Amino acid sequence: MNFDLTEEQQLIGQSARDFAKQYLEPIAVGLDQTGEYPKAVVQALAKHDFLGLLLPTDVGGAAAGFVSYVEVIEDLSRYCGAVASIVNNHTVAAYTIQNWGTAEQKKQYLPAMAKGELLGGFAIFENGPMPGVGQDALIATKHDVGYVLNGKKAFVRNAGEAGVYVVFATTDPAAGAKALTAFIVQASAVGVKVGEKQETMGLKGCPVAEITFENVVLAESALLGSLNQGAEIVAKALAVASVAEAAQTVGIGQAAVEHAAAYAKQRVQFGKPVAVLQAIQTLLAEVATDCHLARLGLRNAALLIEDGKPFEVEAAMVKSFLVRLGPKMLIDTCQVEGGFGYSETMPLPRMFRDIAGTTLLDAPGDFPEKLIAANIA
Amino acid sequence: MPKCLVCYKWTLDEQDIKIKPEDLSLDVSRAKGKISDFDRNAIEEASLLVEKNGGAVDALTYGTTSVKQSLKDALSRGPGKVYWIADTSAENADGNVTAKVLAAAIRKIGPYDLILCGEGSSDQFNQQTASRLAALLDLPCVTFVSKLSVAGDTVSATRKLEESQEDVTVKGPVVISVLSDINKPRIPSLKQVLGASKKPNEEIKIADLNLKPEKLLPKAVCKSVKGFVMQRKNIIYKESAAADNVAKLKASLTSEGLY
Amino acid sequence: MSILSPEQLAIQKTAKEFVAKVIIPNAAKYDKSGEFPTMLLEAAKASKIFAMAVPKEYGGLNYDALTQALVLEEWGYGCAGMGTTLAASILSMDSVLVAGTDAQKSAYFKPMLDAEIGSFGLTEPGAGSDAAAGKATAVKKGDNYILNGTKCWITNGGFASVYVIFALTDPAAGVKGISAFILQRGLPGFTIGTTDHKLGIRASNTVELLLKDVQVPATNLLGKEGEGMKIAMMTLDMARPAIAALSVGLAQRALDACVAHVHTRFPGKPFPGQTLQFKLADMQIHIDAARECVHHAMQLRDAGMPYSKESAICKTFCSDVAMQVTSTAMSLMGSYAYTSDIGKYMRDSKIMQIFEGTNQIQRLVISRAVLAHPPAPIAAQKAGK
Repeated sequence: MNFDLTEEQQLIGQSARDFAKQYLEPIAVGLDQTGEYPKAVVQALAKHDFLGLLLPTDVGGAAAGFVSYVEVIEDLSRYCGAVASIVNNHTVAAYTIQNWGTAEQKKQYLPAMAKGELLGGFAIFENGPMPGVGQDALIATKHDVGYVLNGKKAFVRNAGEAGVYVVFATTDPAAGAKALTAFIVQASAVGVKVGEKQETMGLKGCPVAEITFENVVLAESALLGSLNQGAEIVAKALAVASVAEAAQTVGIGQAAVEHAAAYAKQRVQFGKPVAVLQAIQTLLAEVATDCHLARLGLRNAALLIEDGKPFEVEAAMVKSFLVRLGPKMLIDTCQVEGGFGYSETMPLPRMFRDIAGTTLLDAPGDFPEKLIAANIA
Repeated sequence: MPKCLVCYKWTLDEQDIKIKPEDLSLDVSRAKGKISDFDRNAIEEASLLVEKNGGAVDALTYGTTSVKQSLKDALSRGPGKVYWIADTSAENADGNVTAKVLAAAIRKIGPYDLILCGEGSSDQFNQQTASRLAALLDLPCVTFVSKLSVAGDTVSATRKLEESQEDVTVKGPVVISVLSDINKPRIPSLKQVLGASKKPNEEIKIADLNLKPEKLLPKAVCKSVKGFVMQRKNIIYKESAAADNVAKLKASLTSEGLY
Repeated sequence: MSILSPEQLAIQKTAKEFVAKVIIPNAAKYDKSGEFPTMLLEAAKASKIFAMAVPKEYGGLNYDALTQALVLEEWGYGCAGMGTTLAASILSMDSVLVAGTDAQKSAYFKPMLDAEIGSFGLTEPGAGSDAAAGKATAVKKGDNYILNGTKCWITNGGFASVYVIFALTDPAAGVKGISAFILQRGLPGFTIGTTDHKLGIRASNTVELLLKDVQVPATNLLGKEGEGMKIAMMTLDMARPAIAALSVGLAQRALDACVAHVHTRFPGKPFPGQTLQFKLADMQIHIDAARECVHHAMQLRDAGMPYSKESAICKTFCSDVAMQVTSTAMSLMGSYAYTSDIGKYMRDSKIMQIFEGTNQIQRLVISRAVLAHPPAPIAAQKAGK
């Protein structure tokens, strides 16, 4: 078993790190303060093929594979979690169209998405207990030309900047999630109303908003996959998204532990750098270890995705691990830096706020442990 | 439409090198390789020239077997083909040996209109390769180049020297060594990285260069490399009057030969 | 929780009402702006709550330690930042309580009767956990001491009327050369430096204090020269449970928000699955245990018994619980939490593990106490029978 990246994957990682240092490092603090969508950076990402990383070459993508993808996301996240979020949400939308779209749909959307001319968004969650259940559930009813959508989607990332959304609606409220169906909806469609940008704790710069769908008429050709196939599609897409998000957690954690280790080497208390104190060593070592193991776990899951093998259990394991230990990476590194780890003049507080946004359990009541337990050999 | 060759060196990334505190020796066990910094500028400059004027860029490297790790990296940065020589003689090669090997290779694979090198390598910074190559190949040499352009068979270069700037033109084939401010090396896009494996690489066996064995032995031998660690003197001047402290500081600096 | 007397229950109820009326509705606003809530001091004047630790003879409310903890838990529930303002003011007056003369106490406590606050100035850029490494000096000159130095991370520093500042009267004596002084705001040479913008407790004012040839009358020396560190340690023992109490309130607030959200998210479904239920149960287990921990330490103090170890334990445990509970609440409630106040609770929790002695320093204190009293050997028994 070879845990090493291939030469190409290493070079891609190097490009991602160099890109992040050149384009993300200078804007990370300002972006966190203003929350203004970093249009120029997103365009630069597109120029370097990062927005089409997973897409096949015949639509203009780089087809670099999922292992390269998580490597890139980790590297971008080391400098700016918010930009990595933008890329992740866009990529999950593109991935979904790539895997379940018709030839026409792929031709219509993917080349522009690969080039970064069209940003993608993924609208699954709602305010009710489950997508398709509750008073604002997004419902798709049959219409002459195809379907009509009515309802709301909550916490949509890239909302307002995305040109196309992959949206999940129920075609039968009584059946709830069982009748979940996927659609491709253009942001410009009449009746698509993006709400006010929501204030998030971190990852500022990746816009989050509610979207209201008011009699949005869709042609039959907007159906993604088949009728009622939504639950299957969303499960797979969310599993892929969770691996991508795990790469964010690891990237932020790695940047934090490196910063804290450097701090500890030069902060002198009791006559010595605090790095020699066992208390500090324990904090740093645990975070470095958790990052390392999580990285290997997510690389393994990524490889399974790349090889087209079943991966949902491994993805759930990485998610379960990081929900428990992700925030701890910043809780402990901030501890190492003491008062400096609490001052917004230093980078750790921003990373603390950012990492918390990568370990959210958004699929209500759907804990990763359920899938893991069901699949223990 | 110039036919360019860039010579580059695969060195250790100094960021990964740790200095052992006991004897200041270097721990390179975890050091990864990289294309030497100024050579990256040279590759970039050649690629930019060819993207602007047409033509082709080849890359050439001489090193130990680790040089194979450099090939895709180099090809992702613009060159259309890379030639490589992997031999143990590279381990201790001095400027003399390096230039002889490269010159022999260039006689085999050339001729080239423009041969580019970095001004010096990231590790040893001997600054000898370009000049020696030019001498061995009986070509003109322009060093410390911070700006370069080609028009027909005329190469125009700006040399950035310590206290002045020189504009030079050369007709015909020339060897150029470039400074780091000549350009900003590209961050290879994903397609450029993935496209590298489709580009050709060719090994040149050192035996085929017909160099006598003694030519591969360095005359200048590196005896040791030690790290440099800045030591603080940790002297604090605690006189109650600021003027007394300044006097003491002046005395210390004078005794150190700094004032 | 401990069985409370009717008096304590009444005080707790009053605190809850004040928090609901003044603190909760304003918490988000001050968290966002980072501005100091002077309105809080105004609103607290009538109740004299900023003098809750001031003895009766000086006109204060004279609440016992447990009762103070009840009030602080409510303030922590409302806003940990505003709660820190109260806790830090009491921290500073505790030094005077411990070592002050009658005249010093009178002068220091008086402003607090009017909801003016105090500030405790020990930390310096080079003296965090290594509090004894402070470099500020106090040179005796006639009837005064001349103070020079820089203090940092000082809570309430920008808005206090009275300060307890630590400085070296005998630099050669190291930790035994530190003395404590009372300073008033506005003394010539005593200025307020930069204000720190923090991850959390943003309503709490945190500043640098700059001392340049500040002339302090010798009558403002607290205790004797060289007693500074002793006074600081005694004070911190008293003050640590205050942070613990704030942490308990903070954690309870996060849990309550979680429970409310679960009811909204799963209407008509009282039990939304064991995983979620058990996470909520674990949160409540820890919060209740944390509360008991604070109350126990406070009861020891009120009974005049040693409580250093318990003080360290409750500060450590309660702040760790708050950090854990608020993080769990964030994950559980997902994007809803990420766009709501749960973020504030998580941000506010982090500092509780750091200030007033990091949890690592606390563990040193606790482990020393544990190792100092090895258990009596139990006679070995033969295996198998």
